[in-house]
Amino acid sequence: MNNHNVIDQSKDITILELLDRVLNKGVILTGDLVISVADIDLVYVGVKLMLSSVETMEQLKKVKSISEE
Amino acid sequence: MEKIIYAILSGKINHGKLTTLLSGIKGIEGADLVAVSFDQISAVVSNIEKADLVANQINAFAFAHVIEILEEDYPLLPMRFGSIMKSAGSIQEMLEKNYPEFRNNLQKVENKSEFGLKIVCDTEKLKTELKSKSDAVNEPSQKSVAESRDSVFREYVNQKLKAHRLEEMLMGYIDSIIAEFTGFLIELDAVKKIKKMTTATTIIDAVFLLEKDKKAELILAIEAMQSKHTGLNFILTGPWPPYSFVDITLKQ
Repeated sequence: MNNHNVIDQSKDITILELLDRVLNKGVILTGDLVISVADIDLVYVGVKLMLSSVETMEQLKKVKSISEE
Repeated sequence: MEKIIYAILSGKINHGKLTTLLSGIKGIEGADLVAVSFDQISAVVSNIEKADLVANQINAFAFAHVIEILEEDYPLLPMRFGSIMKSAGSIQEMLEKNYPEFRNNLQKVENKSEFGLKIVCDTEKLKTELKSKSDAVNEPSQKSVAESRDSVFREYVNQKLKAHRLEEMLMGYIDSIIAEFTGFLIELDAVKKIKKMTTATTIIDAVFLLEKDKKAELILAIEAMQSKHTGLNFILTGPWPPYSFVDITLKQ
């Protein structure tokens, strides 16, 4: 698996985890949640989400820190 | 124009410092952020046209970005995206009405971060492996095979029983994995929420709340588990603001 694939997978995972939290969790205000969904990419779930691991995430972190140096 | 609420902050808030911090961040659609306070808690809000709020990635990211920056300096409770109230006055009333609950929840999450752990695998392959191990221990007797040939009904029942046993083995295996990480979570004094089999491939979907400075220990422990269970993929995310550990439904 090359670094680009690892980065793509990691981005997908992070985006999905973030959207899951922002849209489904947190303090609930009864009766006044206002959401209309416009962009189809909001709910896109890639099959490759299921392929990552802590190991690849750690590799990604190393790649990222090297590129930032 | 209504107000969208991003988070509830705690502490003896230095309002000058908070105002300075908020002046450097933009909310949804580039809106300015302001704090609406009651006693020792504040809601961070921005103006929004209710009809214009759309749940797209840009807005969701803008919302999460505000919470992430605030979380670096303040204990906070993230609001769910789309929490809108009609005015600063109504937000202040809401803060007052729910003050004890906010304080209680803010104390629980102070100096803590949330982490997510998903453990995924090919469950069919896992079941086959578990079945092979089980068959090696419990060889079926010749009699039971002969009996199953005698009767279609018996064969059907046997198949159902086998499928049931296989599910039990799978759940037993998942419980053993949970027990394994529960051990080090106790050592880390973490709060956990765990769901099993949330999708066909996600056998465990867990969230943990632990002290911010224990992040490295958590990563080490998960890495050790990943090395041990090569057939499973461990997906650890975080640190997140404590989205999954807020149990408040507000009274307006």
